[in-house]
Amino acid sequence: MNYKAVIIGGSAGSFQVVTKILSSLPKSFPIPVMLCLHRLKHVRSGFVEALSLKSNIPIEEPYDKDQLKPGRAYLAPANYHMYIELANRIALSTEDVVNHSRPSIDLSFITAANAYREKLIGIILSGANKDGAYGLKKVHDCGGITIVQDPNECEVKTMTTSALQLTKADFVYTTDQIIRFLQKIN
Amino acid sequence: MTELGIVDIREIIRAIKSFYNYDFGNYALTSFKQRLERLIIRNNLTNADSLIKKLRDEPDFFDLFLLEISVPSTEMFRDPSLWRWLREDFLPSVIEKSIGKFKIWLPVCVSGSELFSLMILLSELKLLDKVSIIASSQSNKSIEIMKEGQYDLKKIEVSTENYIRSNGSGNFTDYYKLDRYYAFRDTSLISNVEFNKLNINFDNAPANVKLILFRNSLIYCNPTMQDRILSVLSDSLSASGILITGIKERISGISSNKDFEIMNEAESVYKKRIIG
Repeated sequence: MNYKAVIIGGSAGSFQVVTKILSSLPKSFPIPVMLCLHRLKHVRSGFVEALSLKSNIPIEEPYDKDQLKPGRAYLAPANYHMYIELANRIALSTEDVVNHSRPSIDLSFITAANAYREKLIGIILSGANKDGAYGLKKVHDCGGITIVQDPNECEVKTMTTSALQLTKADFVYTTDQIIRFLQKIN
Repeated sequence: MTELGIVDIREIIRAIKSFYNYDFGNYALTSFKQRLERLIIRNNLTNADSLIKKLRDEPDFFDLFLLEISVPSTEMFRDPSLWRWLREDFLPSVIEKSIGKFKIWLPVCVSGSELFSLMILLSELKLLDKVSIIASSQSNKSIEIMKEGQYDLKKIEVSTENYIRSNGSGNFTDYYKLDRYYAFRDTSLISNVEFNKLNINFDNAPANVKLILFRNSLIYCNPTMQDRILSVLSDSLSASGILITGIKERISGISSNKDFEIMNEAESVYKKRIIG
């Protein structure tokens, strides 16, 4: 299957999982990885640095209109929504919070689903609110692959169980299974 | 939820252009789409056609459209480190040195959060009588809301935290009063502000401006429109004038950026180059 992008959403309890995933991807991962993780609005620095410590691929907080490139990860910046526009470009926005969140996982997933349709892999991880559930449904409705972290493994289950209530995910995976799935992409 | 397709959006843009000679064709697509969808829900409309019909039949609605299509600043004193820099490093010395009034322009005001933040800062620095402030907006309704001081109650808490982090020297509670549905900001702060209605092309931009506060507006424009707006802003600024953009807005990809050099990278502050 010819995937064009991976998008990962998570909140409370997702940091370790994301770190593990990023440290297990091959350096030449063939597609871009978008990360929409809930974070404090007023803390601009430190998050990318913390995620980068063990990551095999470079991570950045994109500027508006930056072009997504394969083998790189893009973390939604503090207090901005991160959209994916057509032509592989990031668009940032300061619109209202959605599900009390900015960045909102729903908005990132919806726009990525519109941009990449069936060529998108959407992954929802541990988290404490329902943000991302609607977005994952949108990924599914557009024909993309949907993966939800096994709620039994999640530090906080609300996000994954909300996603599973709304969408029958293609896969309910543990962190290790998510990693093996991603490692097979080429 | 109403979801608009690309054809719907083109139809809406075409209709507005024919009714009002406003061209939204250079707005960034995804956020424009979301604003339109939000506007359709908020006004109890159902789809693109019903929006177009309302725009055609009710000219007064167009002013509200201009307000609702704009994205207000998320909160007051967003990015407290910028406000701290303005307070402690930049404004006092540059305003003291200014010959004549130090002219500051806010080209896109929606809710007035940037404006009131700035006025609180200038008031605490006791610099209000040394500045002249121009606040522009596309919508009359928006100007009315700012003049009344009306503000979203939900944003008071985060604005207060930001104000404290920006090293505000007073009590933030002194700057607003609570009502049942809104907070009302102290409008005496803006009594000398000149409000100006600016169209989408920025045709009536002021001249000889020393500082432009223009944060998180370029993100809603495509590169063509960014380029045009930046060249208007550059023309507005006097020699060595300062432009502040949002921290995740990059002006380096925009062709008119040759007019600017970086002054404070972390806070996205640019200085107009002296040509010659």
